[in-house]
Amino acid sequence: MNSPVMALLARNLLKFGRDRMRLFMTLFMSGLFLFAFSFVTRGAGPLVGTPGGYLVSGVAVMTVFQTALNSSMSMLEDLSGGFLKEILVAPVPRWQVAAGQILSSMAISALQGAVVLAMGFFVGLRIDLLHGLLAFLVLLGMGASFGAIGLYLATVAKESANFQLLVVLVSLPLTFLSGAYIPAGMMPRFLLPVVWLNPLTWATASFRYVALGLEHASSSDLLRAGISFPVGGAVVGPLAGMGIVLALGGAFLLLSVERFSRADFSRIKIFKRHHR
Amino acid sequence: MVDNRIEVRGLVKKYGEFAAVDGVSFDVKDNSIFAFLGPNGAGKSTTIGVLSTVQGRSAGEVRIGGRDVARDRDAVRRDLGVVFQESTLDGKLTVRENLRLHLSFYGIPRAEVPRRTEAALALVDMEEWGNAPAESLSGGMKRRVEIARALSHEPRVLFLDEPTTGLDPQTRANVWECVRRLQATRGTTVFLTTHSMEEAEIADHVVVIDKGKVVADDTPAHLKRLHTRTTLRARMDDPAGLEAFLRETGLEPRLRDGWLEAKVPGAALVVEAVRRFGGDLRDLEVSKGTLNDVFIALTGKEIRE
Repeated sequence: MNSPVMALLARNLLKFGRDRMRLFMTLFMSGLFLFAFSFVTRGAGPLVGTPGGYLVSGVAVMTVFQTALNSSMSMLEDLSGGFLKEILVAPVPRWQVAAGQILSSMAISALQGAVVLAMGFFVGLRIDLLHGLLAFLVLLGMGASFGAIGLYLATVAKESANFQLLVVLVSLPLTFLSGAYIPAGMMPRFLLPVVWLNPLTWATASFRYVALGLEHASSSDLLRAGISFPVGGAVVGPLAGMGIVLALGGAFLLLSVERFSRADFSRIKIFKRHHR
Repeated sequence: MVDNRIEVRGLVKKYGEFAAVDGVSFDVKDNSIFAFLGPNGAGKSTTIGVLSTVQGRSAGEVRIGGRDVARDRDAVRRDLGVVFQESTLDGKLTVRENLRLHLSFYGIPRAEVPRRTEAALALVDMEEWGNAPAESLSGGMKRRVEIARALSHEPRVLFLDEPTTGLDPQTRANVWECVRRLQATRGTTVFLTTHSMEEAEIADHVVVIDKGKVVADDTPAHLKRLHTRTTLRARMDDPAGLEAFLRETGLEPRLRDGWLEAKVPGAALVVEAVRRFGGDLRDLEVSKGTLNDVFIALTGKEIRE
């Protein structure tokens, strides 16, 4: 079976592997974040697990978040470069095109998240094989969900410049209201509803739960560390949080496919001319 | 086996109130080369967009291989190969990778992919460039690769939207040679759009479109017979005898820059003129009417790039 979804995934992975500047920037930015934030957590003291582990898990989540969003921009590059037309005249259902794109974002972002985890050993992360594998699974789930959100933003933006703007508008507030870098418990109470609506909050919480091996931690410790949240009268834990992230991803996948199917590609502008 | 591979009836495509294609109807016979001619903005690319299932239509009916392009979209797509005006290769992939990816979109079994890839590259003489990144190829090479890619899943219809735009004359000739060869050896129905009347001469059938409407639908030879005349030009020391002979036959010869010129109805009159006045001729030119003359006759304007 030579499936279009897997072919799109293989193509995007191949292109990612060949883009050395992108690889370098990913490693460089992750290293920079680890280095810079290691001073912050050292000052703040451990919330749960080790300070290094707490920090690394935040940076890994942010790396997956940013990479998955940006990977979805390759659809816009395909649009402006002309390749999307090749896909659109092929007998491939639009949902498969969207699925191929989201799987690519998932794989590329989870790989980069894994690289951050590996770098984390230098700043004090300690994780066994089982928790490492579970953490990678969570990274894959987050990558798929954030890839779906990115694809939806790409179908809304339709141009790279607009997309970049949208990503900044979406990612900056979500980042700082997620607990990835600043623990949710340290935020003012009026911001908490926004924190609860933020998928990045749940992604960070569930990833920390797995990566830091907190299955034996007490409920009060999880609440204090921003891994569980009191929402209304109930406590939402990290596993339910992961369910929220995946459900959001599924919703955005449907929204993307719907927008993709309705899109009028008759006015596609291709910027690279044929001749050189 | 269908007689007409493509049937278009009353096709309309509107953008707001503006009709880019306005009630176009034509047929394309199976196993033929069909040229869709018109100046820029005439509605050629819009029509090809609807036929190739990339765009919707506002009204009318379009059938390819007996199937409606909107209702049986995926089945129609399997039968089509499309080469757009702009390159749609993935520049970061190699030529072979581009072809393999294309074949996976068309559901070709994995075991079959290498053979089809190599066969398609051989058709356009690009085997030795198979491992080159697509972005490193010249414009003409990219065109050949795109034609190979569009043919690799063995479609019944090949759409070529202005395939030689921006190419140098030698590369243009290579591309047309390639198209002719493919049509002859594979029996693929070729639907091409062009604004080059000269290039459209290779077609078995021509439809001329202007401002979204069909203004001619015929074979190139018949269109030229209907709308153009052969031009006779003769240089001689004393052209009076030939001039009188041409006037006797009802023609209106003119002297221009030392040449006697006349539009003549056919070859017989030229042969007779040469038989009578051949001994006095210093030079002689006979040129057939072109599709460009047809276009001028039909629309009152010249087609331009």
